Amino acid sequence: MNNFDESVLTLLLVLPFAAALALVLWPGDELRPMKWFSAAVALATTVLVAWVILGFDYTEAEQYQFVSETEWLTQLGIGFNLGVDGIAVAMLALTGIAFPAAILVGWNVDARSKDYLILLNLLVGGVYGTFVSLDLFFLFFFYEIAVLPMYLLIAFWGSSTNFPRFTRLKEYSAMKLVLFLVGGSVLIWISIIAMFVEADLNTFNLVDLQRVGFDESFQNWVFPLLMIGFGLLGGLWPLHTWSPDGHVSAPTSVSMLHAGVLMKLGAFGIIRVGIQTMPEGAEAWAPLLLGLGAVNVIYGSIAAMSQTDLKYVIGYSSVSHMGYVFLGLATLHTLGVTGAVLQMFSHGIMTALMFTLAGAVYHSSHTRDIGVLSGLAKVMPVGAFFFAVAGFASLGLPGFSGFVAEMLVFLGLFQTYPWIGALAVIGAGITAVYMLRLMAKVYFGETAQRWETLPDLKLNEKLVAGTLALTLLIVGLAPFYLIDVIREGVRHIPAVTG
Amino acid sequence: MGTDAAFLAPVIPAVTFALILLTGRRVPAIAPCLSIAAIIASFAVWIYVFVAFLDDGAGTRSVEWFTVGGFEFTWGTTVDEISIVMLGIVSFVAIGIQIYSLEYLRGDPRLWWYFAVQSLFAAAMMTLVLADNLLLLYLGWELVGLGSYLLIGFWWERRSAAEAAKKAFVTTRIGDVALLIGFVLLFRETGTFDISTIITLAHGGVVDDTQLTWALLFIFGGAAGKSAQIPLHVWLPDAMEGPTPVSALIHAATMVVAGVYLVVRLFPIYRMVPEALDLIAVIGLLTALVAGVIALTMTDLKRILAYSTISHLGFMMLAVGAGAPGVAMFHLLAHAFAKASLFLGAGSISHGSGQTDIREMGGLWRKMPFTAVTFWIGALSLAGLPLLSGFFSKDEILLAVHTGRLNGGFLIVTFVAVAFSVLYTGRMLYRVFLGPLLPTNEAAHEPGSRMWAPIGIFALLAAGLGGAAFEWSHDYKGFVSWVTNSEEGFHLSTSITGASVVIVVIGLYLTWLVYVQRRVSSVGTRRRFGPLATIAERKFFFDEVYQWVINEIVLKIAALTAFIDRAWVNDIGIDGPGKTTRWGGSVLKYLQTGMVYNYALGMVIGAVVLGVVWWTI
Repeated sequence: MNNFDESVLTLLLVLPFAAALALVLWPGDELRPMKWFSAAVALATTVLVAWVILGFDYTEAEQYQFVSETEWLTQLGIGFNLGVDGIAVAMLALTGIAFPAAILVGWNVDARSKDYLILLNLLVGGVYGTFVSLDLFFLFFFYEIAVLPMYLLIAFWGSSTNFPRFTRLKEYSAMKLVLFLVGGSVLIWISIIAMFVEADLNTFNLVDLQRVGFDESFQNWVFPLLMIGFGLLGGLWPLHTWSPDGHVSAPTSVSMLHAGVLMKLGAFGIIRVGIQTMPEGAEAWAPLLLGLGAVNVIYGSIAAMSQTDLKYVIGYSSVSHMGYVFLGLATLHTLGVTGAVLQMFSHGIMTALMFTLAGAVYHSSHTRDIGVLSGLAKVMPVGAFFFAVAGFASLGLPGFSGFVAEMLVFLGLFQTYPWIGALAVIGAGITAVYMLRLMAKVYFGETAQRWETLPDLKLNEKLVAGTLALTLLIVGLAPFYLIDVIREGVRHIPAVTG
Repeated sequence: MGTDAAFLAPVIPAVTFALILLTGRRVPAIAPCLSIAAIIASFAVWIYVFVAFLDDGAGTRSVEWFTVGGFEFTWGTTVDEISIVMLGIVSFVAIGIQIYSLEYLRGDPRLWWYFAVQSLFAAAMMTLVLADNLLLLYLGWELVGLGSYLLIGFWWERRSAAEAAKKAFVTTRIGDVALLIGFVLLFRETGTFDISTIITLAHGGVVDDTQLTWALLFIFGGAAGKSAQIPLHVWLPDAMEGPTPVSALIHAATMVVAGVYLVVRLFPIYRMVPEALDLIAVIGLLTALVAGVIALTMTDLKRILAYSTISHLGFMMLAVGAGAPGVAMFHLLAHAFAKASLFLGAGSISHGSGQTDIREMGGLWRKMPFTAVTFWIGALSLAGLPLLSGFFSKDEILLAVHTGRLNGGFLIVTFVAVAFSVLYTGRMLYRVFLGPLLPTNEAAHEPGSRMWAPIGIFALLAAGLGGAAFEWSHDYKGFVSWVTNSEEGFHLSTSITGASVVIVVIGLYLTWLVYVQRRVSSVGTRRRFGPLATIAERKFFFDEVYQWVINEIVLKIAALTAFIDRAWVNDIGIDGPGKTTRWGGSVLKYLQTGMVYNYALGMVIGAVVLGVVWWTI
């Protein structure tokens, strides 16, 4: 290990925050250099992530790599400790792709773009921080940082929509999202303090806490707090309702990060803080997670069938797809957990792609009503092509990453809970119904007169869509790179069998 | 070993698909050349592998795809009698279809896209055929479904085409849900997707009987979806919205037989579960019969052919259910070329005369003699006219039903189904080609060479392939024995063959009386059957029932779920506490009056209450 390896995670984490600060202090009002600067920072983080991936040793190696430990508040045992395992690496890969994609898609934002970029950088800094922190205090700290910019991003840059039966105000969505996540944070914070006290080691060091082996009764009451506290950020039913509303109100690039990366923080928290520190608690509560996950899958996909707003369909589809993550985690079986983490990656990329395309339709047509849109494939063939890619990836077509992920989840489920497994397969079947319905309505059929002049994707959108689609395909055909890394992380979790 | 090269057959068109996708929009002209070159290369690979196979025998080859825990997932190919036959059919028919399409779709602005998807489909179909494990087979299985979806919806500006594409994908997807459950169940029992290992383990008694039965029933659900068996057949007639060459390739010769192929491939374990074979036989026979009856009432030429395809897929399934997978493969082979030539012929007719409805046709042999001859060969072959290939394969099916594991009732119903196939064939042939030529069809003309050449070759094969049934040498005891590696030679049963010949002759004569001689009025005949004819014309109400289920149950449940999510989970469950808090605040704020005497009163009341509580305790 050389010096750069020790500081690469710190650098990765500091870059977005430094960029945000630089933008705050930015002289002049010229927007283009700021956008280029942000894109460069985003790509720089991608390069650092690539460095981590290439340098990661996944041949029966240490659990946490690229570790750097800095003392911070020794009296309370809080240290600025960073490090990644296989699961975190997969999440870094996701963020490393989604971040520049979001910046590029956000290129078209004209109102107060400077502030917009600052907030995006803060948000992503928080996301990176959560994934690489090995100290509970900092993990929680960055988790909060990732969540809060959402409020401003949605409330200011979002859009309110009138539906026949109700109106969705962007302020409402923003407020609901933040209240939810703060509510979850309360549960998480209680659990963290409880662990700190119960372990009695005067440390927030996650690696040490994972080795403690808490009392079973302690695990049994703390694990559900963590499961729900983190789970609601992952859209765990019935605490998912902030998510579709948030998507609908958020601007495109925020939706991309929101569904693509932010929801993964929740599932990541369940693994990192929940399952890894409390194997027995996880085992005891797995049936509940399993049940809720199954409801997520089926309920989300059925609700998606009767949505009339393009973004609501995608939003409920996210609820459904995150269900596979919960199901996979609840199996506590290598196949299922590996599948769950792969699904986190895959769904992140896929949803980002879908929101890019939905955004392109909305920006040019100013509607997302799938009853009004029709025949868009004629005027935006490239958009239609990529939407079909995203749609088929979403319904689990082999060749795309979602198939491998969902397949592994199914295999894991059938090892232990075949009935739930069958239900999960049926959920994937329903996905085909609403995805194809959406495509048939929006892109096929005769092109209405008013849509004859819609432009196709812009260059930045094409670039993003192409990259994301290619990622889905590569991971779908050659999943072994990612799976080998994830497996290396899963191998070290004591609760996971098989 | 030479058979290892088989993987090239799907890889070449897959790479071509990517190439066309990248270049197609800029250089559309190059797409057909690339695609046809690729499929010819695949066919060359087939020849090479076939020769190697004859020399060395069957061979498998697999490479690791990824490993999770103790489970290894692989990609690999199996070359054996079954897969080599299928690979030959797929690559050969695809060449003919693609060349035909050059003329049929000339001038279409999205021709490059058509050929891109053709390449994708070829790659997927060959993957499905060659796969040595269920996971890879499923990959090919879903991707042929994608190819089918994209090609049915090729003219997506037409709402009906977009809907038909969706219907095809969703209906087969219902089967695929069952299929995947079946595959995963087998994985759960054996820890592997490898087909030969699963078969070995099942034969070794490692697999629990109940689990195996369930797995195989679920897998048949998938096969039934893909191979358009009742009640999942409804997508295939609608799939005729696609360009006709697509119907010939995907919805007659190759993709739709994938279900039959899968059941044949897994026959060594299906054989262990008599209940599953019974179900296959019943569904197959029912499909053959019902589709044959419906075909008799259709008026759109392509739809007649579509129902005929469904009926013949039913016959193939019936053969498997009877315990004769080799016979199913033989009928699959005979049907592939005959039906390909028929669909291409139907394409020529609509291309040359503009007609798709048989009531608008008649006397066309005068204008299109070549098309007429090839069409008659294909149709009569499938009707079972002696010496054409379909005669032999249908005979083998009847024989298998007679001598196999099924009871006598099956044979009788099979004869009825065969009779219907003769009747609809006679009606179709006479109405299209004989009788007076309508004035509207004066301008009808034969197609060009790119269209007639493939038709001619397929028709020749449809006529002559029956020869493969015979025992030609000591090593080749007839196709059925060869494909199943059995020692049993070719044999005939005079009574069965005699009966089937009589049915063909009578059926063709009866329809001759009705549609050519007009001695029996077709309208009168129809009236005599009254409501029964209506049921057949309305296709046994499958579509209506499904539409009702979708509208009244599925969509209502979906709307209800969305409503519950909105009104209960969100507005009450989530907003409720929020509103309660706000309301509580709005009430409680009046306590903050700012008047000292109010607060003093509160303090006094509080003190009294506390005092009382303290005193009572």
